[in-house]
Amino acid sequence: MTTGYAFISIIALVCYVFLFLTFFAAKKNKHINQFMLILTTMILWTGGSFFMRAQFWPGVKFWYDVSVLGLTLCPYVSFLFAVDFGGIRVGISRRVWLILAVIANAFNILTNSLLAAPEVVTMADGSVSFIYETTWKVIFLYGVTFGASVHMFWLIWKAGKKDEMLKRQLAPIVVGLLIMYAGNVLIFLPPFIGVPVDIMMGIVNVLCLVYALYARRMFRLTLLASKGSCYVIAGICSLLIFSNAIFPLRKFINKTFSVAGEYDILIVSVVFMIATIVIYTAMKHLIDKIFIRDELARSETLKEFSAAVSKSLKINEILDVMVQVIQTTIGVKKVYVCLVNNDGDQYQVSYSTSPLDKRSYSLTADNPVVLWLKQNHTYLLMKDFRRTVAYKSMWETEKRMLQLLEIECIVPLEDDNQLVGFVMVTEKERKAILNMDDLAFLDSVGSIGSIAVKNSHLYEKVYMEARIDELTGLLNRKYFYETLEAEVEKNRHLSLSLLMVSIDDFKLYNQLYGTEEGDKALRNVAMVLQASVGENGYVARYNGKEFAIILPQFDILAAKNMANNIRMQIMEINKQQRGQMYRQKALTASVGICSIPYAASNMKQLLDNADMALYQAKHTGKNKVMIYSIGEVEDSRAAQMDNGTGYREGIYSEYASTIYALTAAIDTKDHYTFRHSKNVAEYATKLAKAYGLNKESVSIIEEAALLHDIGKIGIPENILNKPGRLEAEEYEVMKEHVENSIGIIRHLPSLDYVIPAVIGHHERWDGKGYPRRIAGEDIPLSARILCIADSFDAMVSKRSYKDAYDTDRALNIVRSEAGRQFDPQLAELFVKLVENGTITVLKDE
Amino acid sequence: MRFEEKLKTLSQEEIWQEYCGFLDLSIEEYMQIQNRLMEEQIALWSNCALGQRFLKGKQISSIDEFRKEIPLTTYGDYADVLLQKQGSMLPDDPIIWIQTTWEGGRHPVKVAPYTKSMLDTYRNNVLACMILTTAHEKKKFDLKAKDTFLYALAPLPYATGLFPLALNDEIEIDFLPPVKEAVQMSFSERNVKGFKMGMKRGIDFFFGLGSVAYFVSLSVAAMGSGGSGKSSLKSISPAMLARLIKAKHTCKKEGRELMPKDLFKPKGFVVAGTDNNSYKDDLERLWGIRPMELFAGTEPSCIGTETWTKDGMYFFPDTCFYEFIPEKEMELSLDDPSYQPKTYLMNEVIPGEKYELVISVLKGGAFVRYRVGDVYRCVGLENAEDETRIPRFHYIDRIPTVIDIAGFTRITENSIQNVIELSRLEIEDWVAIKEYNEEKRPLLHLYVEMSPKSLVSQAVSKEILREHLSVYFKYVDQDYKDLKRILGVDPLKITILKCGTFAEYHRKSGKKLRKINPSKYEVMELLQTEESVDLWYQFRGGGRL
Repeated sequence: MTTGYAFISIIALVCYVFLFLTFFAAKKNKHINQFMLILTTMILWTGGSFFMRAQFWPGVKFWYDVSVLGLTLCPYVSFLFAVDFGGIRVGISRRVWLILAVIANAFNILTNSLLAAPEVVTMADGSVSFIYETTWKVIFLYGVTFGASVHMFWLIWKAGKKDEMLKRQLAPIVVGLLIMYAGNVLIFLPPFIGVPVDIMMGIVNVLCLVYALYARRMFRLTLLASKGSCYVIAGICSLLIFSNAIFPLRKFINKTFSVAGEYDILIVSVVFMIATIVIYTAMKHLIDKIFIRDELARSETLKEFSAAVSKSLKINEILDVMVQVIQTTIGVKKVYVCLVNNDGDQYQVSYSTSPLDKRSYSLTADNPVVLWLKQNHTYLLMKDFRRTVAYKSMWETEKRMLQLLEIECIVPLEDDNQLVGFVMVTEKERKAILNMDDLAFLDSVGSIGSIAVKNSHLYEKVYMEARIDELTGLLNRKYFYETLEAEVEKNRHLSLSLLMVSIDDFKLYNQLYGTEEGDKALRNVAMVLQASVGENGYVARYNGKEFAIILPQFDILAAKNMANNIRMQIMEINKQQRGQMYRQKALTASVGICSIPYAASNMKQLLDNADMALYQAKHTGKNKVMIYSIGEVEDSRAAQMDNGTGYREGIYSEYASTIYALTAAIDTKDHYTFRHSKNVAEYATKLAKAYGLNKESVSIIEEAALLHDIGKIGIPENILNKPGRLEAEEYEVMKEHVENSIGIIRHLPSLDYVIPAVIGHHERWDGKGYPRRIAGEDIPLSARILCIADSFDAMVSKRSYKDAYDTDRALNIVRSEAGRQFDPQLAELFVKLVENGTITVLKDE
Repeated sequence: MRFEEKLKTLSQEEIWQEYCGFLDLSIEEYMQIQNRLMEEQIALWSNCALGQRFLKGKQISSIDEFRKEIPLTTYGDYADVLLQKQGSMLPDDPIIWIQTTWEGGRHPVKVAPYTKSMLDTYRNNVLACMILTTAHEKKKFDLKAKDTFLYALAPLPYATGLFPLALNDEIEIDFLPPVKEAVQMSFSERNVKGFKMGMKRGIDFFFGLGSVAYFVSLSVAAMGSGGSGKSSLKSISPAMLARLIKAKHTCKKEGRELMPKDLFKPKGFVVAGTDNNSYKDDLERLWGIRPMELFAGTEPSCIGTETWTKDGMYFFPDTCFYEFIPEKEMELSLDDPSYQPKTYLMNEVIPGEKYELVISVLKGGAFVRYRVGDVYRCVGLENAEDETRIPRFHYIDRIPTVIDIAGFTRITENSIQNVIELSRLEIEDWVAIKEYNEEKRPLLHLYVEMSPKSLVSQAVSKEILREHLSVYFKYVDQDYKDLKRILGVDPLKITILKCGTFAEYHRKSGKKLRKINPSKYEVMELLQTEESVDLWYQFRGGGRL
């Protein structure tokens, strides 16, 4: 080698050392370790040769042996690297080649007989030459290296023949090694004699190996941009520059600045230090530009994302930021965020890049994708997932959905190892492939997003619990007050309407169909209210059956229109029922309205006045809208119906024929009951009128009296007309007539108002009656009236099992049973009415 | 991505995982796949007209409920819909209809619909078989484009005809001869052409019914022996010529016939069908490689495969939902067709037990709780050798009421009765049993009892009966005819029983003998009864004394 090419050896050495140190800092595995072994042999080979030629201490023989050791071990470690890289099994031969290489080297070092160290000859011109004396014995040394190399190529060829993929992966290694061997042959050919082609090709080989490792994702390119690398490069560059420049520089200082001559070493040191720093900074800047510019930008984005999501507790805001960050940073076409539902069985698309995206897609909790995410806690690449066994259990519809959405990657959102959702990412723009950096970024976004989603979930849960009525999903009363206060304050100078909505006869509805149906009705009404109000206001459940609607910036007219609209919709609810055995009673609601500034000036007035309007609506016929207007309550149902009584009368006339049909039916079976019902109706209406009930209530009592024994249709005639006392079992059957009556009447939704009277007419004031054993004023007034009328007629009538009592005896019994069977006040009144002739006793004809 | 591209871009481990990863499943994971896909199938099937016909308005919400509500089915339950190819009544659109024999001599064909998803699964499973047949250990296989494939199976519309189509969708395999040419050729022409091409380019894979593969192997050897003429030599590659010369020299030295193994070194060898056990040893001797068995049928498609251990098959988890009828239950239901036998799932099978297979075809298939008519033995729940943790099965045979000879025939009581009636031979009674000869080859053994009247008026020697019945078997059953045409085999063996044997058996035992494959014990009883008939005759003063 001529000294003119010494720099090539230095460059090679620097290159090997740089790579060695870089990979030394990397996360290691078997392949990285073996690559470092190759670098070590290359360093020994090249470094030994260089130091030998430079005749460094301890001497030529030492550095020669080091170089030969590197040379002979290089094929062996390359063999190891290649076969392990390709997963090729080699058995015992890997040890054989090592043993042979070690023996050959040891023998050569000790005896200097296989390839003797060169003789150093100093020429006349002062130059130094190294004279090699090669004998046939060199075959033993080179034979080992040649054998290992041939064996390696043979194994690679065999493995590549069976495995296309392996062939591609091993190709750069084979090419690199072939180039290196070619370099070692070329140095003997005339055009290359004296040129260190072997060393140059050694560098190419190492670069090929680096590429092979990179292609297998054994390391990240950014690894090369570590601070350590920059230090090494800066240090080596400085050393190289100053080893050549130190003397000329000192000379220059002494010559030009003679005054500073005595400080020349100090000045050189400072210049050396400054230059090193400059080189380091420049190098770092350059490497950052090349390798980690994107990484830095992404770190910055992540920081911003983290800050943004930590500022909000609203799930939609968090998801919005997350989707935007992913889309803009990675450049994917679409991002979908799926969150688990309350039941935990579905992951529904909750947010996506565009509000126009279809979001009705969901994956079930037992979907293989979901199970994979739960098990692996990291991103899932669809192209890899499609090759797993788990993918086999995907439904075709699920596969199609993911294909349709063009999902490439799914990132889990976890909360304490619970999968709360996941982010689905489509392919990148221009069909670019998601790289490792993208995936690392997605993982980071997922982790940060998970925490934000978790916090948001907690917040929303507490928020919901504190503000939402569990049954209807509307605002609760507490939050209603807060909202109303805020909105009144906000709209003080504009307008705001408050609607109080109450379901009519809801207690009766519950009695008729049970509380389950009642709850269902409440939910249905809530849905109507929510759908009608939408984004225009707030809907709250005020108490059991009452709802409140806050309508900011609504005047009275607009509020009245909405109230009527709601009222009409509520009336439609039970008309749309499907699959019910019988049609349920129509739901109706009364609405009271008050508005600021027209009829109230503060929140309290607004509430009180709306409540008063509602009260009026309730007490003037129900199913109507009443508006509070400067101290007066105005009925808005106007044209539709004149007043409450008229409405009720409409229903009466509609059902009068039904009532008579029913009473006629009982007449055909049991004439006594028919006559008895008519008598009871007569007594009861007179008692009700005398008690001061209004016309409507009296009508209800009359009809209830006519229908109160309708259930006797279902009682066998032998019990109904049995002479003498009923047996206990027969009495039990007889008692069923009350339930039977209810059973019949409940099928006539508009006659249901008589039920309280019918169901309670056998209850006793002292609580010993049937069927509910209620007492005192818990028994509806109508039922208490009916009870006296019913009992009195039974006493004064002749029955199959008894004779008719005379009036006095009957009245005495009424008196004596006051406070026991009968309401004492009503009993006293009844006796009085009979005695003063208001009630005429109707005797059997 | 086609399989061919995967070979270039994915590691062997990744490819193995994708296609053969099911072998690593635990039984719980296996059942998870089965259950999930069955839920999908129930949803699809319940909503189609075919399903509605079975369900009669009932709603099914779980697999347990499905198994409770839907009785086991046979082809007759689907015949009217499927034979008319009423695709609109099925759970999913059929892409192709595959055909086979329903019942020899009685129902000429049955057809089965294949949906797109079924074909996708079939394609993957076929590739899994190809990978496994070249493997000698886990995750190592040798399959690449342009491999050559000698294929001794029937073309479309038979199920075996799907194999090359599915394979060619994924990888360019050179079939010997090419599929398009092969469909135009007779069976022997295909063999000759395939062998010639194999001599030129080598044979990497060989697939056939066990019996057919054996027959072809013998032909290959014969052709190799006689193929040294000048014209033949022209079409042989130099490497093959060298191998042929060396093989002939070796054979001469060893004093034996030329065998395929002397000429070819196949990477993979696959057999399917029934009676493979009769041929496997011989095939291994001829080819130097033991064939790997897979199970594929017209209705279920490709459902099971052996691995490199070649010791029992594993069922693919995504083709069908499997149920198993224990042998005793199967026998009860064969004796009393109204009896609904109990079924067990894959995670309930017991090693050593024999089971009749019941399948519900997944991915929009038509058949549910369908009795395929095959019997398997569970040989283990785990296997250390190939590191599996799912049940492993050996194929035993068809169900006892069907006689399948070498994978060709489906002879039932009806078909034999039909043959006897057509032959006009005065056979009083009979019983048919599938047996194996000394060379382990299957045969149909018919025990007949002639009418005493016919003995004096008709020539009824065993040979005459055999010839006569054989003619009619070939007449009524195309498969039986193919057995002779393709394999040159006539599997019929006749034994004439003494007059009165069946009546005496019936009198003594008080039971009626099953016509097809009665148990060994019953056959023994019948033959013992035959001996006692003489005594009976003597007792009655009949016979010579």
